Amino acid sequence: MTDEKKPAGIVRRDFLQTAGTAALGLGITGLPTVLRAQPASVKIGLIHPVSGFIAFSGNQCREGALMAIADINAAGGIKSMGGVKLEAVLGDSQGKPDIGAAEVAKMAEAGINGIVAGYASSISLATSQEAAKTNTPHVVDVGVSDQIVSRGLTNTFRFSPGYGKIADFAVANLDAINKAAGSPAKTAMIIHEESLFGTGTADLLSKKLPENGIEVIEVIKHANPTRDFTNIVLQIKAKKPDLIIPANYYNEYVLLARTMRQQRIEAMGIYSVLGGAASNYKFVKEFPEAAENIMDCNHWFNPKSEVALARKAAAEAKGLVYTYEVFLAYNAVLGLADAIERAGSTDKEAVNAALSSSNMDMSFMPYGPTRMVDGQNEGAQPVNTQVLKGDIEVIAPKEFASAEAVFPVK
Amino acid sequence: MRQLALLGLVFAIIGLAPFVISSDFTLNAVIMILYAALVGQAWNILGGYGGQFSFGHAAYFGTGAYTVAVLQVQLGINPWLGLIAGGAMAVLVAAIIGFSTFRYGLRGSYFALVTLAFAEVLRILSNSVPFTGAGVGILIPLDQGPANLQFVTKQGFFWVIWLITLAAFVTVWWIGQSRFGAQLMAVRDNEDAARALGVEAFRVKMGAIMLSGLFSGLAGVFYAQYFLYLDPYIAYGPAVSVESLLVPIIGGLGTLFGPLLGALGLHVISELTREFIGEFPGISLVIYGIILIAMVLFMPRGLAGLASRLRARPFGTRAKAAEGSHA
Repeated sequence: MTDEKKPAGIVRRDFLQTAGTAALGLGITGLPTVLRAQPASVKIGLIHPVSGFIAFSGNQCREGALMAIADINAAGGIKSMGGVKLEAVLGDSQGKPDIGAAEVAKMAEAGINGIVAGYASSISLATSQEAAKTNTPHVVDVGVSDQIVSRGLTNTFRFSPGYGKIADFAVANLDAINKAAGSPAKTAMIIHEESLFGTGTADLLSKKLPENGIEVIEVIKHANPTRDFTNIVLQIKAKKPDLIIPANYYNEYVLLARTMRQQRIEAMGIYSVLGGAASNYKFVKEFPEAAENIMDCNHWFNPKSEVALARKAAAEAKGLVYTYEVFLAYNAVLGLADAIERAGSTDKEAVNAALSSSNMDMSFMPYGPTRMVDGQNEGAQPVNTQVLKGDIEVIAPKEFASAEAVFPVK
Repeated sequence: MRQLALLGLVFAIIGLAPFVISSDFTLNAVIMILYAALVGQAWNILGGYGGQFSFGHAAYFGTGAYTVAVLQVQLGINPWLGLIAGGAMAVLVAAIIGFSTFRYGLRGSYFALVTLAFAEVLRILSNSVPFTGAGVGILIPLDQGPANLQFVTKQGFFWVIWLITLAAFVTVWWIGQSRFGAQLMAVRDNEDAARALGVEAFRVKMGAIMLSGLFSGLAGVFYAQYFLYLDPYIAYGPAVSVESLLVPIIGGLGTLFGPLLGALGLHVISELTREFIGEFPGISLVIYGIILIAMVLFMPRGLAGLASRLRARPFGTRAKAAEGSHA
């Protein structure tokens, strides 16, 4: 019973200790790392909500992670371990934290070497906590809740920005965009969905926007799903805000934007924070008129990076819509593989230590240098995007911008 | 008494799990089966024995879960006290719902719809008021230790859920033996006739809904401490209400062991479909749904009914008996 729970690495180490003593007796003073017995593959658990109500995003995450594994293997696998290949072990959380946690427990026992999960914050909280019980390295791909990395779990890491940073960035950049245009926007309305993401966004913006001279004249919460935005849009029409700030998931965002277009809402701008559809090529392609000029503060790739553009092209060649789920999951696998490479083994403590000291080059993202503090990459940041002439352009920060902001629209 | 002995034996065997199972995943599966059996048994008290079909057991589950979470996070009250408070608050909510519905004679689909509405109202409230964390939800700080009702290993959680579930099953056994239980079943079978015989239907139904609420609330407390995160959808969403009624319907309504069989059956089907076809997103859920429909269609008395049917009919006579039953 005890032996089953003992990690394989420890057993190997015990064996090597004995063998090493014998080898010293023969005058051999050591073995190169790569000549030691290596596992047949490095198992990476990918746990995403590939079925259930957020299945589209979950599948996007899975595809991104699988692309990363394929690319790493094609480039020679984990070289410090003699070219061992990565092997994906797939799990479906069905959008439920308890099932996500059960998947982690199952994978941990199957000898998983690291986990990338879990798209939604609530699922990431559960999976990382379960992984912490076996100290299994766990990289969160998309979940933005700051609580994910503030619980003191030494196995939990995130290469993408957290919610606090995104919200601060969104407020500061909106202020900058408004001021650059001569501060025409004085009022705003926030329309948000009811869960953690929408409510958190609305609360934060309601506090911060007045500090920048923008009065929040109305905050409207809606349920998930909401299939008719007519009443909400009529309220917007009546209040005539300068800015409309939506914070909703993809379907609701699309419906809201379409209804605003149908009702001929005229505002100086639509500015989203983590807008479900605002930085999504599918939305831009399917509803170009509704999407035009919408600004968003969101995860995005560096449009000036050849590597990023090549990955986008590769994803599109596979028929994928290149959403942030794809490249954030890709990056999470990349960060985990980089740590295993530097650790030179799959020893959990060594991999966690390597993740803690990660300085992976992420110039394909609009980030600063990678620097992990309590599991969070402090170099990560969002960008501002805007839909211009049927394409998604980066408008801030300046060093990554591919276009100038168009504001006010009217 | 034979049933009580059998119950003791079954729980004694389940109690061996932490000693014979070294796999955390398998022990987690046993914990989740016990948890599902608990929510199912809670529903079974009211729905199976009392004939009052509730579609809103999430109201009690969520209240228990939020009580322990809010007391801990907002007021720093120890979760062991929260366990008691969670159960008590769920009983209070059950009493309010019971009084509002039974007092005015709501039955059948009317009762089902009103309970669904209560759960939905609580979901919207928890989504709006700040002390529950509103839509953001509430995260219980990770502070492992038995004093905080958080355990480093799964064994600790196992014993907590084992004890609560055992208490629920012993209560249901008692219902099956007691005068209260006889009155409850009389109300289920024919409320007007029961009244004519002097049964105080309102009092009996109130007792059943409060007992049912208690165990649902305790299941909610357990969930909150096990996963340490709640949001309105997790706590008061329809998934909990559906699971609560699905478990005894599959296992056997109004039977002592039905919820345990239902929980076991559902978990095994869910795991098997995920294991063998989990790589094709959504297909496992489709297969799971088809199996459930088939079970409801062909086993109207659930797994417990199937077990007693098999016991009652030796192999040689089964075909003949089946013919007779169709006649």
